[in-house]
Amino acid sequence: MAKTVNLIINGKKIKSSAGSTVLEAAQKEGIYIPTLCHHNALDPEGTCRLCIAEFSGSIRNSIRISCIQEVKEDLVVETETERINKSRRLILELLLGRAPEASAVIDLAAKYGVTKSRFLTGESNDCILCGRCVRVCRDKIGVHALCFVNRGPARKITTAFERLSEYCIGCGACANVCPTGAIKVEDKGDQRKIFTWEQVTARFTLEQCEHCGKPFAPKRYLELINKKAYNPKGLEFVDYICPDCFKQHDRLSDKRREGALRKAVNKWSVPRG
Amino acid sequence: MDLKAVNEILSHFPQGRGNLIGILHEVQNHFSYLPEAELRHISKKIDIPITQIYSVANFYNRFSLTPKGHNQICVCMGTACHVKGSEKIMNELQEKLQIQKGQTTHDLQFSLDEVRCIGACGLAPAVVINEDTHGLVKPKMVGKILSKYKP
Repeated sequence: MAKTVNLIINGKKIKSSAGSTVLEAAQKEGIYIPTLCHHNALDPEGTCRLCIAEFSGSIRNSIRISCIQEVKEDLVVETETERINKSRRLILELLLGRAPEASAVIDLAAKYGVTKSRFLTGESNDCILCGRCVRVCRDKIGVHALCFVNRGPARKITTAFERLSEYCIGCGACANVCPTGAIKVEDKGDQRKIFTWEQVTARFTLEQCEHCGKPFAPKRYLELINKKAYNPKGLEFVDYICPDCFKQHDRLSDKRREGALRKAVNKWSVPRG
Repeated sequence: MDLKAVNEILSHFPQGRGNLIGILHEVQNHFSYLPEAELRHISKKIDIPITQIYSVANFYNRFSLTPKGHNQICVCMGTACHVKGSEKIMNELQEKLQIQKGQTTHDLQFSLDEVRCIGACGLAPAVVINEDTHGLVKPKMVGKILSKYKP
């Protein structure tokens, strides 16, 4: 069993398992800490800086970000002090200056009483460069289609050489985790386009469902799923069935899967002894 | 695509992912820029995704993804040089080379960039060409300096 650590967040005594972050510990106890770049499925990167908190006790008195700070014995954390909220309002103002039309930023800013930004650039870009899309593509999907390029004010999210990506599988995970909707997936008929900052970064023809004939997923995506989930030994076995049909016909597809698995097992099983 | 040169460069480095910047330096020196096909080859060889290499190549000023000239001219635009009239030197260079700052001549002999303070304020206005620093440059000296580097 993991070692437990005792700490205090906002005056509340908390037990948390060693190795988890302060943000995770707080969320588990129902203590709200605002964040835009944190996602439960992804490794923290600490880019939005909104989860700052005042730390004291077993570490030096300081303001740190709670999504990266690990829990420690006798740690004392304050998440909503005047000093923190002042800094947080500035961070929100900066984010709002960059993305004045992103509803996630507007709503969060309004919560802290920030409605105007002194840092408007005249341009509006929904992306806040939190890097969730880059992380999900790199760490979870594992295809490395997106990256950060340039630095400073020119920093942006794009594909290698800013062209249609030859690695993208069209899964749409980047759009799914984007907190502000700066990446969009658009399905029209049997065509899927992925927009990263208005630039088309991937284009796919969707494969048709074997049952209803509805186009539902790009081929590369099905191939990867096939490789990752069903097919550790490189057998040819793809279920081209859309999620709707899969739910309706789950008995049927169970049977299909059983049949195929049996075939696979027969083919690969080695007689013992 | 000059894969022989790239493989030669790769052979200077031990196997592994930790040498990307060193490799890119040598590729930059050899080609005077980072060509796309070669980067893709390196990506396969050292098993680093091309997106990551592209990120690194974009991040550092030392690396360029467009061809740079054989001779790289950097005009210092720091405070002291600015006061001493580096703007005039830049204009003269742009006129002589028929290019704008940030560009490269068609024969790939010269590329012209402006840089921030190079720490030679006593020599203001200063121009660095390749490894040589030219100090106390006057607009009429520009032609003579350039002729040293012409083939």
